[in-house]
Order: sequence, then C-alpha cells, then structure tokens
Amino acid sequence: MNVLQAGLAGALGGSLFALMALGLSLTWGFLKVINLAHFGLILLGSYLTFELATSTPLGPLNTLLVTIPVLCVLGAAIHLAYERFEVSELSSLLVSYGLLIILVQVVHNIWSADFRRMDASVNPYATRSISLGDLSFPLPTLLAAGFGLVLVVLVGTIINRTYAGRALRAFGQDREIASAFGIDHRLIGVVLAGVAGATAAIAGMLFALRGTITPDAAFEWVGLVFAIVILGGIGNVAGTFYAGLLVGAVSGVVASFWTPSHSPLVVFSMVVLALVFRPEGLFPRRAGRH
Amino acid sequence: MLGVTDLDVFYGDAQALWDVSMNVDEGEVVAIVGSNGAGKSTFVNAVMGINRARRGSIIFEGVELTNLAGHRTCRQGIAIVPEGRRLFPFLSVQENLDLGAFNREARRHHHESLAWVHELFPRLSERRDQLAGTLSGGEQQMVAIGRALMARPRLLLMDEPSLGLAPVIVDEVFERIERVRAEGVSVVLVEQNVKRALDISARAYVLAEGRIVQQGSAAELAASPEVVAALLGV
Repeated sequence: MNVLQAGLAGALGGSLFALMALGLSLTWGFLKVINLAHFGLILLGSYLTFELATSTPLGPLNTLLVTIPVLCVLGAAIHLAYERFEVSELSSLLVSYGLLIILVQVVHNIWSADFRRMDASVNPYATRSISLGDLSFPLPTLLAAGFGLVLVVLVGTIINRTYAGRALRAFGQDREIASAFGIDHRLIGVVLAGVAGATAAIAGMLFALRGTITPDAAFEWVGLVFAIVILGGIGNVAGTFYAGLLVGAVSGVVASFWTPSHSPLVVFSMVVLALVFRPEGLFPRRAGRH
Repeated sequence: MLGVTDLDVFYGDAQALWDVSMNVDEGEVVAIVGSNGAGKSTFVNAVMGINRARRGSIIFEGVELTNLAGHRTCRQGIAIVPEGRRLFPFLSVQENLDLGAFNREARRHHHESLAWVHELFPRLSERRDQLAGTLSGGEQQMVAIGRALMARPRLLLMDEPSLGLAPVIVDEVFERIERVRAEGVSVVLVEQNVKRALDISARAYVLAEGRIVQQGSAAELAASPEVVAALLGV
C-alpha cells in the first residue's frame, strides 16, 4: 500500500511539472525556440498569484483572471523579440537563459529573497487533502492533475483535430513550405507563445498553492522539467503529461523507499537511457501528429 | 502574366542570382534549365517569396511580389511544387492536400479542387489516410503536385518534378503537367531532364552560375549546339 501511496502522490505532484513542461515543449517543438525564460514566467505567475491573493479578495484560483492575460502577453512579446533578432534554436538557449536570470532578479527585487507563502486564510487549499480509503492526496496536487488533464486534452484536441492545429503541425515540419502555402509564421508564433504564457500562469498559480515560494525556485525546476520534455517527446502534448506523471511517480517511490536525494539520479538515468534508445520520446505519436 | 526584371538574390553575403529577367505568358509552359547549382531553385523560391530578392522586381498580374510577406504570395495565385517534394511527412496525404488549400480563396473551392486532384491522381484517394512520409517517391511527387493544385494557382512553379523517379513515373508526371496546362494553368518548369522539359515547353531559359545565358523557343534551344553540349551531355 505504501508503494501505491508514494507512487500515486508522486505522479500527482509530477503533473505540476508536466504543466510547466507543456509550454516549453510546445514552443520548442513547433517554434524551434528553447525558451528558458518560460521558467521566469512561471515564477512571475507564482508571485503574482501570491500578491493578488494576499492583497485583494480574489482568492488564489481567481487570480488566473489577471495572471493568464498578463503572462500571455508577456510570452508573446518575448517571442516577438526572439523573432526580431532572428534567434536560432541553439542560441535561444543562451538568450533565454539571460532573460531567465533577469526575470528572477526582477522578482527578487520586488519581493526579496525571503520565503513567501499565502496565508492559510487566503489559501485554504495548501493544508487540505482528500482521502481515498488508506490513500491520501494533498489538494494542490489534485488540482494540478485536474488542470493538467484539462489543458492537455484541450491543447491536444486543438493541435490534432482542428484545421488551425493542422497548420501548426505542418509549420513545425517545414516552416518555409508552410509559409509558401499561406501559413503566417508570425501569427502562429505569437499565438503559440501566448498559449505557453497562459500555461505558465496556471503552473505558477498551482506552485504558489502548494506552499512557499522563493525566486530561486525557477532554477530548481529547470532540470526536472527538461527531463519531462525529453521523455515526453518534444512537442508531444499528451506525452509530456504522461512523462510528468511517470517522473513524479518514480521520484515519489525512490524518495520513500530509498532516499529523496537519489530521485534525481534515477530520473536522469531514465533520461540518458531514453536519449540512447528512444530519442523521440517514450510515448508513440499518434499517426498524423507532428 | 509573370514578369521578372533584373533580379538579384543573395544567401547571406553570397550572391546566387545576377540580373535575372524573364517572363511567362498566360497558359504557357516555360522551362528553366541549367546544371546543378546554377540557381534554378533559388529563382523559383524567390518568385514564391521563400527567398527574398535583394534587387529587381517580380510582378505577377500587375502585383509587385517583392513587397509582399512570404505567406501572401500564394494568395495571388501562385503555388510551388518544391524541389525534393518537401511534403509534411507526419501528416496524412489528405491533410497535406487540405493544407495546399490553406489560403482563404482556395479554401472556398476546396471541394472542386480535391475532385480534380483525385481525378488527376486516383491513387491519392486510395492513400488518403497514409502518412505522406511513408509513400513511394512517385506517390510523394503526386501529393506535392496535388497540394500545389489545391491552392488553385494560375501559375505553377515546378522544381525538378522528375528528380529521383522511375522513367514510367516520369512519363506520368509529364503527362499530368500537360493536362494541368490544358486547364489554363501556366507552368514554370525547372528541370535537369532537359530533353523532357523542352519537349513540353513553349520557351526556355538557360541559367548558368546565377545568370541567364540563353533564351528562346524550346525548339531553338533544343537545336542549339551549346545547350546540347552543356546540358544533354552528348
């Protein structure tokens, strides 16, 4: 029963990192930009959630009404800057790392390096959990799984079933030819970067919901989230979600039966093996998907 | 219909085309021949807006194309069958064709266009749900032509449509080009297979090292000793 509890709780926790990975994977897979600034947007989302929930009567979940539009616009603006300076896939890693440092520093200057957490009076979710027989799950991770599931189904459906999604997949496969047939690369870039920004707002809110936030949290996410993007397959929406659950479950089991400090060892060994044997990701792409 | 004047195209600092001028009349097949690296693909890609012109003008039915964003060219009535086909390999045959009709005007005629494409290439309706990347070379070329026709072009740019295909398939492709022209579509045909290209063209231009070195009616060029020596390898 303990293995089950550790694995399931880990998987649910992993869904939060899957949400963080979703935006990164989309812009990497379709726009060929490895946007580390995405972690800065998530961090900003966390702090905006904290600030708005603390200083207004909105409540943490409703802060999304503000944070989604803000980070959507910011994400799109950052993408336009990458386009303007013709940042390539590889150089985007450097440029966006610089941006990440700037964003973290901005957060640091506004909210200081101290731990912040929403007061229990504004954030009733952090301490609650839901029990199922002998199993018990913290409410924030359940919410993360719920949001993750909804987003993955929504984004996956748009990409795989709509005409616009088909244009996006074509664009990801050959942008020059897609453009020659009338697909506007600038529009696609702005919309997709905006969507990634919106997912950053949601992931940031869910992270703030769990407890304490610090500016350095952004750097701590990078490794795990990259692992999920690689394991899930770059640009593979459903795969990213499964990979998040898998990484979370494995980390959870290793942490409770071995020691938490060994979880990264196991997770990154999985990444190395995946890169050797299944570099396209662990999960098969449905026919017709990019 | 298409008039290109003094076109210069660069890749970074390297110039690929010098002073290229040519024209295409309504309902005409015009061949562009030349050896590897002569700038033939660069030329059609510049007309399509995939490469940008540094100097010169490209005017199609009175519209200056060099001022248009790349994705707007197809809306004017031009479509490309790119070199090496460049299908969207992880999309099905049908999805590839649908995307050919992406621009608004073409989308409205999607049904008729598809019927025509299936009539020209019946195999594409059998293969509709197969991923384009898994087709044979000949079938891929049919999808590439079909995708371009879905855009309802009045001018079709075909870049090496016979490349890497078995002779029987080449016959089929050239026969389809004639049928497309018979429907009133003008064609710019870039080919290494010079003899075949001249056979179905009214006129031709010879490109060498980024410049047009010869032009004239297809019959004239086919008889020209330089063309024969340089291109037919005789």
